[in-house]
Amino acid sequence: MAQDSVDLSSDYQFWMGKLSVWDQASTLESQQDTCLHLPQFQEFLRKLYGALKEMDFNTVIERFPTIGQLLAKSCWNSFILAYDESQKILICCLCCLINKEPQNSEESKLNSWIQSLISHILSAFRFDKKEVGRFTQGLGYAPVDYYPGLLKNMVLSLASELRENHLDGFNTQRRMAPERVTSLSRVCVPLVTLPDVEPLVEALLTCHGHEDQEILWPEFFDAVNEAFLQKKISLPTSAIVCLWLRHLPSLEKAVLHLFEKLISSERNCLRRIECFIKDSSLPQAACHPAIFWIVDEMFRYALLETDGAPEVLAAVQVFTQCFVEALEKENKQLKFSLKTYFPYASPSLAMVLLQNPTDIPQGHWHQPLKHISELLRKIVEDQTCGSCGGPFESWFLFAHFGGWANTAIEQLLMSEAEPPAALLWLLAFYYSPCDGSQQRAQTMVEVRAVLGCLLRLSRRATLSARDLLAAAGEGRDADAGPGASALIRRLLLTFLLRVPGGRAIARDAVALMAHTDEITHEIIGFLDQTLYRWDRLGIEAPGAGELAKELLQELHAQVQQRM
Amino acid sequence: MEPLLQHLERFSEVLVVSSTTHVSTWDPATVRRALQWARYLRHIYRRFGRHGRIRRAMERRLHNRWWLEGGFGSSPVPGLTNFQALGHCDILLSLRLLENRDLGDAARHHLLQQLFPGPGVPDTEEEPLQDRLACLARRRSAVHLLCFYGYKENQNLPEDSLLKTQAEMLLERLQEVVKAEAEGPSMFLSSLWERLPQNNFLKVIAAALLQPPVPPRPQEEDLELGGPKTPGEGGQELVHWLLGKSEVMAVFCRHLPTGLLTVVASRHRELSRVYLGLLTDWGRHLHYDLQKGIWVGDESQDVTWEELYDRFQSLCQAPPPLKDEVVTVLKSCKAQDGDFEVPGLSIWTDLLLALGSVA
Repeated sequence: MAQDSVDLSSDYQFWMGKLSVWDQASTLESQQDTCLHLPQFQEFLRKLYGALKEMDFNTVIERFPTIGQLLAKSCWNSFILAYDESQKILICCLCCLINKEPQNSEESKLNSWIQSLISHILSAFRFDKKEVGRFTQGLGYAPVDYYPGLLKNMVLSLASELRENHLDGFNTQRRMAPERVTSLSRVCVPLVTLPDVEPLVEALLTCHGHEDQEILWPEFFDAVNEAFLQKKISLPTSAIVCLWLRHLPSLEKAVLHLFEKLISSERNCLRRIECFIKDSSLPQAACHPAIFWIVDEMFRYALLETDGAPEVLAAVQVFTQCFVEALEKENKQLKFSLKTYFPYASPSLAMVLLQNPTDIPQGHWHQPLKHISELLRKIVEDQTCGSCGGPFESWFLFAHFGGWANTAIEQLLMSEAEPPAALLWLLAFYYSPCDGSQQRAQTMVEVRAVLGCLLRLSRRATLSARDLLAAAGEGRDADAGPGASALIRRLLLTFLLRVPGGRAIARDAVALMAHTDEITHEIIGFLDQTLYRWDRLGIEAPGAGELAKELLQELHAQVQQRM
Repeated sequence: MEPLLQHLERFSEVLVVSSTTHVSTWDPATVRRALQWARYLRHIYRRFGRHGRIRRAMERRLHNRWWLEGGFGSSPVPGLTNFQALGHCDILLSLRLLENRDLGDAARHHLLQQLFPGPGVPDTEEEPLQDRLACLARRRSAVHLLCFYGYKENQNLPEDSLLKTQAEMLLERLQEVVKAEAEGPSMFLSSLWERLPQNNFLKVIAAALLQPPVPPRPQEEDLELGGPKTPGEGGQELVHWLLGKSEVMAVFCRHLPTGLLTVVASRHRELSRVYLGLLTDWGRHLHYDLQKGIWVGDESQDVTWEELYDRFQSLCQAPPPLKDEVVTVLKSCKAQDGDFEVPGLSIWTDLLLALGSVA
């Protein structure tokens, strides 16, 4: 408590200083500075009100002798009054200062003065002296009757003037002067969250200036972006795209905002991740290649920084899926060729990866898989292929469409034939992209062995969990990397779900496998991802689906208990 | 129904009183009761706003009352004037009380407590009065900021937002007055003409005459706060009044910009006839000055040749049938004067010559 009051006192001094400099916000610099500080000032006002309402009048004057000045200066700054809830909090602060029973004329006068400030906030800016005021009075209308309509007309008129900029490119007289456009964008900064002003904000964002440089104020973009991220303004996607194209920091903030939401939300729930991503409007905006590149770059960076964390990988995949859906909806005729989005990738690889698995009958999935594998292998093993960005780029491109890897695993387990080398290579590459060719070959051998075991076990009448794990662990090299282990775990889990014999021992097997927290989370992730994928692709998996859901619930409960 | 309507009337009286010195007798309890009453009426507004019959009854009572109170003149501070006002009658009351210097200290203190309990205080209403007052303040500063920094008077007057808003308000009032009394609009407009700055009033009338005709929406839908609605037949009332007031029409045609008058004339045929009549009248007042070689007037307030020419030129650029009518009038005037082809004898000949291919 004491610390709070010390903080408040020093804040008070700071803001008192600021307000003195800003004065009535009539100069460009003072307006700029005011706009930069509007949110923080409002926070300060809230804290101040919290303190004032607990004190009686004399205490207030003791602690903050200049409070009258502070509040008065705030009232005369029209940018502050126009922002969010600042006017309301100011009035409440002023009300705290009113003396209920003034003892002498001094106190009465003070009351009067405070009263006039409150009046100013509520009824300032009248058209009294001008003809408009007299006209409205003559008709018997009060400001509350006509101000909303007046605001609406002004906004629509300004918005249509701005749009004439866009349509009438050659009609110089009707074009709005750039200084006026800049002025408007400045003035809109405090007003961004007022719903009446939204058409003007939209018009400002979408008007294309004829100057080389940006004429809108950067603080305007920041304010709109903040309001959009906090859902305090609703704008059509086209306006948001304009915002992000014209002001790169806003786009970066939007992506970071999404990352924060993803990190702080429940782990391993792809459905929720999909919601957040769609909600952010980023997939739709990414139909514009420039935006896609930036977002993709940020995902790439996150992936590298976290050493390929599975959560980040999952986010990349869900994002890509949302993006592809948005692209299909948006482009009846493709405006930009696919190559534009993945400039560093081989075009044929991009084409195959972007195929929708639902367009291909289930029985034929091995064909595109083989094709993908061959293309990738060629790029990765061919040292001279410099134009394709090296193994990481290829892996990153493939990782966008990681669903193919899951499909490959299922294909391997469902068929009784000899596992094709192409699929083995693909999986080994996906799970351990950094392996040298020898290591990879080793992994392929191991996987083949495990598959063979699983096939034999699936033919047995009865199966035990212990047998299964023992067989899978057989002949494994102790030095096998984490990637290879993850791959093998995946094979086992898929086996448990998909093969009837496996389902019977699933619980026991999972219990044996989940001996560390990390592996438990990995299994939870696998189950969630599998259910999500089956749902999306419309794969019928009777029995397996229910089992997966039950296992998921049980593991979640286990994790909760351990916490 | 009748008790409800009486409530309306009595609250309307309270609203009027809230601006007078009488409030010095109000104590905190009175303030509280008044606010409660306003709250109740607002609730009525929301409840019955879409209920056609009840709403119409309330509207009738309010319009009649405002009309009878001399809403078109003497009282500077009306009570409730129409149904929409009911929707924010608590704001109307609050602001009047706040601005009234005669309200006692105790009552004022209580009023402020009621109006601004502070952020974070839960309220049973979805839109607490505190928030709506703050929103109004915010909207006012928005208008101020936009006006100061972004506004430029639109040359196309009917599109200018200030004029447009005033025009919408005028048309709304006319619609209400028509319902109160058949002859209402003319008396109302005449009284406005006496009281208000005429220059602005003329522009507002022009803007009102040019508002786009909007298809009438069913009344039940309009529950939004603030902002006049569809013009409806208000425009017709304006025309009717102008036609009956020749001195107003003369000033109207003399002082408004040429282009604007042409558009008004195109839109309202009855007015175009009067306009042409005035123009021919003005033209007849000019005589030819042989020495200077131009047409001049006898008195200083007479129209000049240039003005006359500008107006006719603008009219000739209007789409038919107006253009054709103008040319016909010019030609018939020329014929009446003797159908001369030589300049200097008939102003109509000279005008037609000057207009050349346009006519």
